[in-house]
Amino acid sequence: MNVQDYISSGIVESYVLGLASDEERIEFEQMCIQYPEVLSARNAFELALEKQAIENVITPSASIKNKIFEEIKVTVKEESQTLALAPVKKLNWAKYAAAASVVLLAGSLYFNLNLYNKNKTLQNNYDNTIAKLNDVEKDIQILQQNPNVKMASLKGMDVSPASYTTVYWDTTSQDVYLMINNLPKPASDKQYQLWAFLDGKPSDMGLIEITEKPLQLYRLKKAQAAQAFAITLEKKGRSDLSTPAGDVYVMGKL
Amino acid sequence: MNSKPIYSEQELVALLQQRNEKAFGYLYDNYSGALYGIVKSIVTDTEIANDVLQNVFVNIWRKIELYDAQKGRLFTWMLNIARNAAIDEVRSKGFRDSQKNQSLSENINFEGAVTAPAIEDVGLKKVVTKLKGELRVLVDMSYFQGFTHEEISKALDIPLGTVKTRIRSALTQLRTMIQ
Repeated sequence: MNVQDYISSGIVESYVLGLASDEERIEFEQMCIQYPEVLSARNAFELALEKQAIENVITPSASIKNKIFEEIKVTVKEESQTLALAPVKKLNWAKYAAAASVVLLAGSLYFNLNLYNKNKTLQNNYDNTIAKLNDVEKDIQILQQNPNVKMASLKGMDVSPASYTTVYWDTTSQDVYLMINNLPKPASDKQYQLWAFLDGKPSDMGLIEITEKPLQLYRLKKAQAAQAFAITLEKKGRSDLSTPAGDVYVMGKL
Repeated sequence: MNSKPIYSEQELVALLQQRNEKAFGYLYDNYSGALYGIVKSIVTDTEIANDVLQNVFVNIWRKIELYDAQKGRLFTWMLNIARNAAIDEVRSKGFRDSQKNQSLSENINFEGAVTAPAIEDVGLKKVVTKLKGELRVLVDMSYFQGFTHEEISKALDIPLGTVKTRIRSALTQLRTMIQ
């Protein structure tokens, strides 16, 4: 591919403005690593866009800044668990007030500790998820760099227009990988099945075990030849898996 | 902007990731106007636009770890957060107002959406008005209203490939206009 043509194709602007598709985005990021001129074209457009935006500011109402800081301080307080104690006046009921404040303090500390632990668990889950996503992205990049890998975007059909998956098919090893970008969670008695089409005839590519994790990459049966792929939703435990019976959710050509 | 740049972008990101409130205040002072500009070009109602801007900055504070300098400048990242938040707001409102439980491609009123724009004379939106007729509609629908190429293709009855090439060509024209 001619790099200059690639740069002037409008991909730089699409990417920066957030209008590129997932595949275009991943390809563009790869091109930025490989070709410094693509990276500098991206930088130049980003700077121009930023300059244009800075020259055209609309100043928001001053109260918004305070609201934002109030909202983020709630998070900060939960993390730092600091407590300020108000001085107790020396009155008859002072010792009761002191006792009550100790109880309150203990309760509050317990509450903060709870929040802190919850926060920690969430952070761990989050880190794990990010790490897994990075792994998947790496896998996809390896697949996309391989010239023998063909790709098919399977778009949502009428039963589920928002669905979207991607099939990567290594024509040398015949391995088939499926990436689920968006597919509704099936009912407990149902299961998705992938099909390869050759001359209009479907052949079973295997059942898909959906897990809860985001953006999963599944390895399915090998395909010797295919022109298109589709996913149907089938009843679990069918005795004959060779022909599709359920609704088609997504479909796409190579 | 009359405030002096006291942080490089790298320093700013590092401080934000350490949850430094001073750095966050600097970020707000320097970028809130630009981000409010994009929000206002998508959301007409001032009160809703204010809420969106507030959410955008709270999200920037909370999600700064997700920012990856390799993939672009900090401003680009924030601009996309602001654009997405504004479009989500408009779309969720559209969903509430129109029929529920229907698929997006069939029920969004494209005609009305195109002819009922938010502010016309600010920032990028102003530049977009300089594009000729159809290109302007395409950029408006994809960038300011967040419709996918597929949805635009269906709504305007133009082949998907054509939608894509025309948007690309409109965007390269936009670049020459802002440079």
